[in-house]
Amino acid sequence: MSQRKSFAVGTGLFIVLGFASLAYLATQTSSIANSHQGAAYRVDAQFANIGQLKERAPVKVAGVRIGQVQSIALAPGKDVADVTLSIDKQYSQIPVDSVATIYTSGLLGDQYVGIQFGGAKTYVADGGHFGLTKSTQPLEEMLSKFIGGGGAADAIGGTYAVKANFTNVGTLSVGAPVKMAGVAIGSVASIKADPVKLDATVTFDIDKRYNQIPDDSAAAIFTSGLIGSQYVAIQPGGSPNSLKDGDQLVLTQSAMQLEDLIGKFLVSGSSGGSNNASGNGSSNTPTGKH
Amino acid sequence: MSSQSRRENVVIQTLGQIGACGLFLLRILAAIPRSMRHVRETVRQLWFVGAMSLTIIMVCGLFVGMVLGLQLYHVLAIFGGTSASGTALSLSIYRELGPVVTGLLFAGRAGTSVTAEIGLMRATDQIAAMEMMAVDPIAYVATPRFLAGLIAMPLLCCMFCAMGIFGGYLVTVDWLGVDNGTFWSNMTANVDVWQDIINGVIWKSAAFGAVISLIAVFQGYTTAPTSEGVAYATTRTVVASSIAILALDFVLTAFLM
Amino acid sequence: MIDPVNAKLDDRTLVRIRGLTTVLNGKTVFDALDMDICRGKVTAIMGPSGTGKTTLLKHITGQMRGQAGEVSVDGLNVARLTRDELFDLRERIGYLFQNSALLTDFDVFENVAFPLRQHTKLPEVLIRNIVLTKLQAVGLRGAASLTPAELSGGMARRVALARAIVFDPMLILYDEPFVGLDPIALNQVLKLIRTLNETLGITSVLVAHELAAIKEVADHVFLIANGKVVAQGNPKTIADDGSPWTRQFFGGDADGPVPFQYPAGDYARALGFTQGAA
Repeated sequence: MSQRKSFAVGTGLFIVLGFASLAYLATQTSSIANSHQGAAYRVDAQFANIGQLKERAPVKVAGVRIGQVQSIALAPGKDVADVTLSIDKQYSQIPVDSVATIYTSGLLGDQYVGIQFGGAKTYVADGGHFGLTKSTQPLEEMLSKFIGGGGAADAIGGTYAVKANFTNVGTLSVGAPVKMAGVAIGSVASIKADPVKLDATVTFDIDKRYNQIPDDSAAAIFTSGLIGSQYVAIQPGGSPNSLKDGDQLVLTQSAMQLEDLIGKFLVSGSSGGSNNASGNGSSNTPTGKH
Repeated sequence: MSSQSRRENVVIQTLGQIGACGLFLLRILAAIPRSMRHVRETVRQLWFVGAMSLTIIMVCGLFVGMVLGLQLYHVLAIFGGTSASGTALSLSIYRELGPVVTGLLFAGRAGTSVTAEIGLMRATDQIAAMEMMAVDPIAYVATPRFLAGLIAMPLLCCMFCAMGIFGGYLVTVDWLGVDNGTFWSNMTANVDVWQDIINGVIWKSAAFGAVISLIAVFQGYTTAPTSEGVAYATTRTVVASSIAILALDFVLTAFLM
Repeated sequence: MIDPVNAKLDDRTLVRIRGLTTVLNGKTVFDALDMDICRGKVTAIMGPSGTGKTTLLKHITGQMRGQAGEVSVDGLNVARLTRDELFDLRERIGYLFQNSALLTDFDVFENVAFPLRQHTKLPEVLIRNIVLTKLQAVGLRGAASLTPAELSGGMARRVALARAIVFDPMLILYDEPFVGLDPIALNQVLKLIRTLNETLGITSVLVAHELAAIKEVADHVFLIANGKVVAQGNPKTIADDGSPWTRQFFGGDADGPVPFQYPAGDYARALGFTQGAA
């Protein structure tokens, strides 16, 4: 009899554990974790292009989640999207002249609505409206403003070494290609931190065939493609003297963070979520300047 | 000519097995009302196939999650996308690895023991003895084990997934230094309860559980009542279950997505 | 012999088999077999290996059905019963398997209690009393908490017997109850069969080869061969009835009506010799 009882207890424990796991998966690791919400009020905003924004996408202020997108509809009679935001009651002090912008969380993340506070002393109420909005901009559009390159380094017949200092090398790694006009002419030999100037000293091995490079050329760290590896691009200067072994390039442009870049252009980037990363189908080779 | 006829024999035998298996499923399902009298037996089988598989499922889940976290981190690092490791980890576990690996482990751990047990019951006339004691062996032996497998698999799969997420968390966040908040927020932002957890984990693993239990019970029930026959049936359970899981996985993925 | 047409189903006959014909895998097992088994008696069925003695028991319990003829048990035509009626009938029949067939999941007590638990909702105290009574009858009350794996062959068979009689059946079928038992265990089982028959009036049918044992316990013997009853009678005198079957079977001759050679083609040709010598 006690044997029977231990079966029952063990099996009961097993079932409870199983359902606990299910509850954990469903509530803690899925979008339900984001959707529990207390009392909320609604605010409208109209966007010219909502990109990949979806219902239930978060609404954030300064990166903190304050609500979610409740509905997305085409505004009647206009070619703009009518987005209703459901914002938690405890965040009721949002100035009426705040700007609603569609952002992408990280390079591969989903889109969300970010709100930058304005300076007005009156606050939006239930059923209110954000007059100032910034729409999403297709990434291709933004990236087509930059130039890029591609190809592989292939050093034969000896190399010579050139140095350059960068304030930030980003994710540049040893072995990365060095390119001029998009053609690989060498590779990165070493990356070291300079103990005095506190920046990065990068040594390139450049193929001996390319010995006519002006010594006032600039070196910049670029990224090949949206999610490709980084490389060093040499932009030739106008000096009559050529680079020699052991020379240093003075003009450099460091790797830039995506956030800096976006901040610089005051536009919001757009990409699909990780679920459908190829959704935008970029057929050219877009290059972001990082 | 003889090799051709042998090949035809194999085809016909395989078709015959599948057909017999399908008919057996109908007998099991038809016996469900009668097996309600044997709820205690179903609970006992739930203990044997479910609770007893818990250790292997949880340990394997932990390691699968850890190795997946490690691999995903290094691949995503190439693209500077390590922040997506939580998303990639959870989605690959929920949609594929969780149900499939749990299914394969379940076939190896519980399926074989069910086949061997029923096969031995047949070899030692226990099945015939039940018939003689006016106890329907389908309702008493086959259906409880089938139902237990059907119930246990989704539960085991949930535990496997939870351990997998935990293992991935340990590696990517605790060890490789992905930001804790990023890991979880990216995961919660991209995992959908219906699409990924109910469809991906629950339905899929329930279907796998049904197929594995059916094959295991069928092989045990129809085995030749000798020790050689039982050994052969056990092997066939693993082979047939593995093929069925992977084939069904493709069909279900195409169907549920 | 039995008159197949005019034999009336009287109260004295529990199992009546008429014209039973069974073909298994192209081999005729029974060929218009007739047999009457009396109530309250111990009946032995003997015959050479492979003549379908166990198969005959399966016909009586309805596990198998013949192509022609009928088997009736207590007035019920077994082949015509629905599943539920058949199960009702089986509750009144005990069956002792050659290898005992105890359920390995349960201990001895639960094995004996199994039919009670499945078919009744008796209170636990009553189940306990019935089970212990039956175990006492087979002399294994002290072994109630052992598992089947811990039992010797003779003990396992006695437990199986306790399980078979737990419902006080009208009929017990023993399939080779003496095989593989040492003389002590054999005598214990023998004594049990006799006691059960005498004290409870249970009709017993046993399939066995041991003539010495059968002489002690059985009231009537059927010798079947070639799908028919070839001899029957009192076990003490059947060996002397003069038929070639009984002479070979009870005398143990290697050759006779049951041939030593399995049916085969011409020996000389099989070895490759042609008929050149002829």
